[in-house]
Amino acid sequence: MFGLQASGAAASWVVGRMGTDAHLYDDPDDASIPTLLDSRFDADKLDALKRLLALIAQGVDVAHLFPQVVKNVASQSLEVKKLVYLYLLHYAEKRQNEALLSINIFQKDLSDINPLVRAWALRTMAGIRLHVVAPLVLVAVKKCARDPSAYVRKCTAYALCKLQDLIPEETAALEETVDVLFSDNSPGVVGATAVAFNSVCPNCLPLISKHFQRLCETLPDIEDWAQIILIDIILRYVIARHGLVKDSSIFASSLSLESQGSGNSAPTGNGTCGTISNITLLHNYIEEYSGCFDREGDKISSSSMISSTNNDAALLLKCTSPLLWSRNSGVILAAASVHWIMAPVEQLKRIVGPILFTLRSSPDATYVMLGNILVFSKTAPALFALFYEDFFICASDPYQTKALKLEILTNIATESSIPAIFEEFQDYIKDPDRRFVADTVAAIALCAQKLPSITTTCLEGLLSLVFYESSICKSVHFDGEDAVLVQAILSIKAIVKTDPASHEKVIVRLVRSLEKIKEPAARSLIIWIFGEYSSIGNIIPKITPAVLKYLAWSFTAEVLETRLQILNAAAKVIIHSPEEHLNEFKKIMAYVIKLATCDLNYDVRDRARFVSRLLPHCRIDLKGKDSSCQSHNEDMFKELANHIFVGKMPSAFQVSNNYRIYLPGSLSQVVLHAAPGYTQLPKPQSMELIHRTMETTIGVGNSSESINSDAESGSSTYDSGSVYDSESEGGSSDRDAAGSNKYSNDAGHSFDHQNDNQEDLLVHVYDTSVDQGQTARDVEENFSSLISTDLTELISKSTLETWLDEAPAEPVQASMQTSVARVSLTNRSFDRKPTSHTLLDPSNSNGLSVLYAFSSEVSSVSRLLVCVDLLFENVSTDQLADITIKSEEAAGSEDGLDQTLEGSARVPTIVLDKEIQLLAPQQTAKMVLQARFHHHLLPLKLTVFCNGKKHPAKLHPDIAYFVQPLLMDLNAFLCKENQLRGMFEYARRCTFKDHLQKLEHIDDSTEHTDKNVLVAQSLASKILSNANVHLVSMDMPVTFNIDDASGLCWRFSSEILSTSNPCLITIVAQGHTSEPLDLTAKVNSQDTVFGLNLLNRVVAIIEF
Amino acid sequence: MLQCIFLLSDSGEVMVEKQTTAHRVDRAICGWFWDYVLAHAAGDASKVLQVVVSPTHYLFQVCRNGVTFLACTQVEMPPLMAIEFLSRVADVLTDYLGDLNEDIIKDNFVLVYQILDEMMDNGFPLTTEPNILKDMIIPPNIVSKMLNVVTGKSSNLGNKLPDATASYVPWRTTVIKDASNEVYVNIVEELDACVNREGALVKCEAYGKIQVNSSLPGVPELTLSFANPTIINDVRFHPCVRFRPWESSQILSFVPPDGQFDLMSYRVKKLKTTPIYVKPQLTSDSGNCRVNVMVGIRNDPGKPIDSITVQFPLPPLIASADLTANYGTVDILADQTCLWTIGQIPKDKAPSLSGNLRLEEGLTHLHTFPTFQVKFRIMGVALSGLQFDKLEVKNTPSAPYKGFRAQTRAGRYEVRS
Repeated sequence: MFGLQASGAAASWVVGRMGTDAHLYDDPDDASIPTLLDSRFDADKLDALKRLLALIAQGVDVAHLFPQVVKNVASQSLEVKKLVYLYLLHYAEKRQNEALLSINIFQKDLSDINPLVRAWALRTMAGIRLHVVAPLVLVAVKKCARDPSAYVRKCTAYALCKLQDLIPEETAALEETVDVLFSDNSPGVVGATAVAFNSVCPNCLPLISKHFQRLCETLPDIEDWAQIILIDIILRYVIARHGLVKDSSIFASSLSLESQGSGNSAPTGNGTCGTISNITLLHNYIEEYSGCFDREGDKISSSSMISSTNNDAALLLKCTSPLLWSRNSGVILAAASVHWIMAPVEQLKRIVGPILFTLRSSPDATYVMLGNILVFSKTAPALFALFYEDFFICASDPYQTKALKLEILTNIATESSIPAIFEEFQDYIKDPDRRFVADTVAAIALCAQKLPSITTTCLEGLLSLVFYESSICKSVHFDGEDAVLVQAILSIKAIVKTDPASHEKVIVRLVRSLEKIKEPAARSLIIWIFGEYSSIGNIIPKITPAVLKYLAWSFTAEVLETRLQILNAAAKVIIHSPEEHLNEFKKIMAYVIKLATCDLNYDVRDRARFVSRLLPHCRIDLKGKDSSCQSHNEDMFKELANHIFVGKMPSAFQVSNNYRIYLPGSLSQVVLHAAPGYTQLPKPQSMELIHRTMETTIGVGNSSESINSDAESGSSTYDSGSVYDSESEGGSSDRDAAGSNKYSNDAGHSFDHQNDNQEDLLVHVYDTSVDQGQTARDVEENFSSLISTDLTELISKSTLETWLDEAPAEPVQASMQTSVARVSLTNRSFDRKPTSHTLLDPSNSNGLSVLYAFSSEVSSVSRLLVCVDLLFENVSTDQLADITIKSEEAAGSEDGLDQTLEGSARVPTIVLDKEIQLLAPQQTAKMVLQARFHHHLLPLKLTVFCNGKKHPAKLHPDIAYFVQPLLMDLNAFLCKENQLRGMFEYARRCTFKDHLQKLEHIDDSTEHTDKNVLVAQSLASKILSNANVHLVSMDMPVTFNIDDASGLCWRFSSEILSTSNPCLITIVAQGHTSEPLDLTAKVNSQDTVFGLNLLNRVVAIIEF
Repeated sequence: MLQCIFLLSDSGEVMVEKQTTAHRVDRAICGWFWDYVLAHAAGDASKVLQVVVSPTHYLFQVCRNGVTFLACTQVEMPPLMAIEFLSRVADVLTDYLGDLNEDIIKDNFVLVYQILDEMMDNGFPLTTEPNILKDMIIPPNIVSKMLNVVTGKSSNLGNKLPDATASYVPWRTTVIKDASNEVYVNIVEELDACVNREGALVKCEAYGKIQVNSSLPGVPELTLSFANPTIINDVRFHPCVRFRPWESSQILSFVPPDGQFDLMSYRVKKLKTTPIYVKPQLTSDSGNCRVNVMVGIRNDPGKPIDSITVQFPLPPLIASADLTANYGTVDILADQTCLWTIGQIPKDKAPSLSGNLRLEEGLTHLHTFPTFQVKFRIMGVALSGLQFDKLEVKNTPSAPYKGFRAQTRAGRYEVRS
């Protein structure tokens, strides 16, 4: 029977696999893919393409088949086409040149009669990201924005996002198309356009004005994904246009919500568990207010408030409120956020039901939802007070969900709901998940502090838990049990602290349980409590002597932590002790100190010495001879001891004040740090001032964009968490200033280069560790308030670093991070010593010697020309006449290798500034030759005419002079560099030896001439003599080791003559100045082939 | 925007990699993610949080039947959009392939790629409506499979754009062929209840879905009304439901998509009783723990209650367990849970499970108590008491056949001991 079932299952499995592509996934390589691709039959091609797809799915790189695949793009079969597109999109960026082959087909497909074909062509064409075709795509987009098919128009909107990514400089043209598409009839297109708006021009809120009404009306009809985006856009628009609503939740002075019924649900303003004031919320949400925490809330808000009857605000609420019934939890949260920020308090309770319902109906959304509800509940606990049952914990919830629910329950507990909540807590304590039990115990304490009426019950419960736990811990030791016990005592401590005198009996019972409790941390805590409250009330002082004796007796058996606490507690007892017991205590104290001074652990010995000094009257017994001479100090010591041991403890609940708040529904709110690209709400009524602020917003927009692109490129920008920091700093400091130097990691650099123009050697020392330390601390704080400790471990710096090591990060970046502080040098006074090469050797040219050197001048004729200085010398004894130079190829046909595009035909190959009529013997003459090289590696063939004779010569190009200096400061450099990452970046290693000779020369004379400076200068002058580039900066590490040159960094900028594309060179050193240095040279350029050749040239310059 | 979507098997193997934007994500991130899963959830991806911060990316993940849908982003985006999208992808794939598991994904990887490509463009959802998707990418059926085996070719791509992409009702194809002119409305409820250690009912509510299976020609107008809509506490609707009539008079007015869909989900809170009771009793002394669980009918719903099971994790630190039942079967599963399968409650006796747990050496009392998960199913009854008033169908050539059904299952029914 069983066997039959099994075989039946196997059979159905075989049937299930039959006719699928299973065999292709299992053995994608078992047929010759290239042959199949070349087949005439679509079926074969399909087979091959599916195999390729399977290989892609399995992570195999099959880019080498690109040419064969691309030619199939012309196939008539839609299925073949689709699979080719899938392949193309995966690899096009790697194989740019070959991908160009497909462009014609796309162009043709764009005018196909089948809208599906048009849409696919547009999607793929925009998706393959070739800069060369970007203009074509732009034209196509403009055309397709008026396509009859809504689907094609929708794809057009998405293509706008892709284009924005590819050619950010064309924003204006894209914006126009966004505008066109916003007026579309089809809701699907409008939705997609909202997405495009967000990526093309998120700050162009005025664009929304004319569409606002219609957008609100269409909102319910568009797709749920786009709804999420559009809700956010129109919310930002209304705030920028009109401002905030006066009686909304974030302005309401106290969110008592009496309308909720249940009269005794008094707001718990004195709640100690981190309720968030509305003003804090406002500061966190809105850009403008984020910088000024100390200002009065009323003052900032009074001008920019509107009443809730404002038409646009009312329309916004009206069109979003039905969306609270959406099937998509993201839409519900987005709509709820709009209400949270804009709705009058009395309408706010509308959101409660729907968002709580998602906890049940979208289980996957629970965690994110609870994170947001937590913030709501901190600000407006009364809103959720009636719905406490929804936060009761299910056994099947994951730990983080449980922890969040517990925190929310603590926030919303009221006098009326606490009995039910408390009963639940009692059940939770028996849960097998002990970590959760410890959290519950902590939550009980928080509730008890908040609601004094249950304090006694809580204490009773906690005490019995302590006794119970101590009895278990004795018998069996297992995971997490100790934590529960310690947390229970911590909770008792927290509750007792509020009013120690009235909880005297609790303290006594706790102290009496000392004998039973073995867990050291728990014992230490109890001893602390005993010491702290030893003089309070009537009963405790009576038991003090006995307890102290017991502690002294057990001292040697205790662990370190407890021994220290015993010393502290004893000292406190002595300070508070009444006269009648003082002598007895002193004896005990002296005994304890005696034991402690002989302790093995030096901490304990230290503490004993410290205590005995502070309490001189105990020392009498210990070292009698000292007492007399220092007796006058006694008063002072007493004062000191009082300060140290009796000082009031700071409140333990201040931690929750730095709880970070981000906009509801954002990723940042879930991860509790500002994710790249996170933006706060715009300044209220900022649209009226739009003209004035336009420039600044654009500035901010651009810089944040580059941060995004930077982050997206997957490089090592996550080092030291600077991306997060730059965003959050931008939030808290002055926005405009932050906008210009947002790269917080580089803020020091940019500051540095304000003084760039000065000629002499400028040395700026700055300490990057300050920045980073701050960041680290911020991150720490941030995560300390996070419930799940997992995240802390996760984001910890060490993890980041290990990840960085694994990732193929550029060595340049990594090594830059190693040094803590740097010195930046800026020195323009390098000699440029151009090197000369021989064009014509006198031995085979009747005595005419021609030398040439590339000059740093830029041709005035055409940017395709490179200037070369020629030096003619007559080494013969005869006169030379009619010297001129002609290009051999002048008459020949244009070479296909020519990289330049338009106007190439009109530019001559060479231009001479003059001809030399006569050159006497030993005479020299100079001439400037402007040459157009067809290729930056192949020599130009020239003919030198002299005395009517032809002499062939070859002019070897030097790619280092195919560029011209591009003046920029460091900030601009880094900005540009960030844009040119990934495929635009090449790095090579090389060694540098030149400085060794120089070092030898100066070695003795000036001992402390910084060797690093010397190295830096020698390399810089070498580069500047051999390449036509601009030195942006030289950074030097400051290290204790004078010899250490690691981290030395040069940055050069240049611009390719023919295309004006920037070309950035970064060189980083590693090693010791006394040895050949290991350098890493890196070139960032859009023109990748050129960049690679330039890199090779730079390396050659460095090495020879 | 989601830069990349990965489908991982239950052992962390990358089955499908779909880059959606130009900012590629190396698949090394999956290795990182799986290490995280191993470290934090002992290899069970369904226990990991939906949003995970990796050193280089923010990860969103949804796990269904052991298949993990993992998406990466580096920039701010609404996290719920990502999570909802991933679960939509999972739903669509389940719908297409009949089920979801590692083998099915691998066997149909071309289809999975085509669907992913259509559902997402440049990291943003493109076409997610199952009806349109099915016109563009035709689901595999037995005929196409056979054709594939016999002739080696069959295209599963629709060669023209579905008209619905342009229409105001994108969930419905305008021309529905061979409609059988019938509509079925089905209430499926789940009963969530929580009984505390005192035996008191802390929470009892019904979470329900109204599933409609429509096969109607043309563009039909449906109106569904309830006899007692006031008992409903919370609602969520399919996009086809018009908000206005519900707001004014609690009527569902809609143009249905073709085929099966969830018209609405709702919740009815504060129910008074559960149909069955489960009374666990655990007493422990001197290293032994007596277990006794009684199950019986508390409130007869009038229809047979079947598929009753009671499941609980054995407490930690148990040396051995000896549990028997007077009815049904008792199994100790591999993950240290005890599953008691009862089926239907017999008329002549009350099922009870009893036995003994031996605690580990040195432990006299049990100090953590398990929570019992109860499952059952009742056909033909909606325990919330929600009732339809009537279903009107307009705009159809002839009166369609209308069918109604109801069913209740146990959802999160927990009994603490």
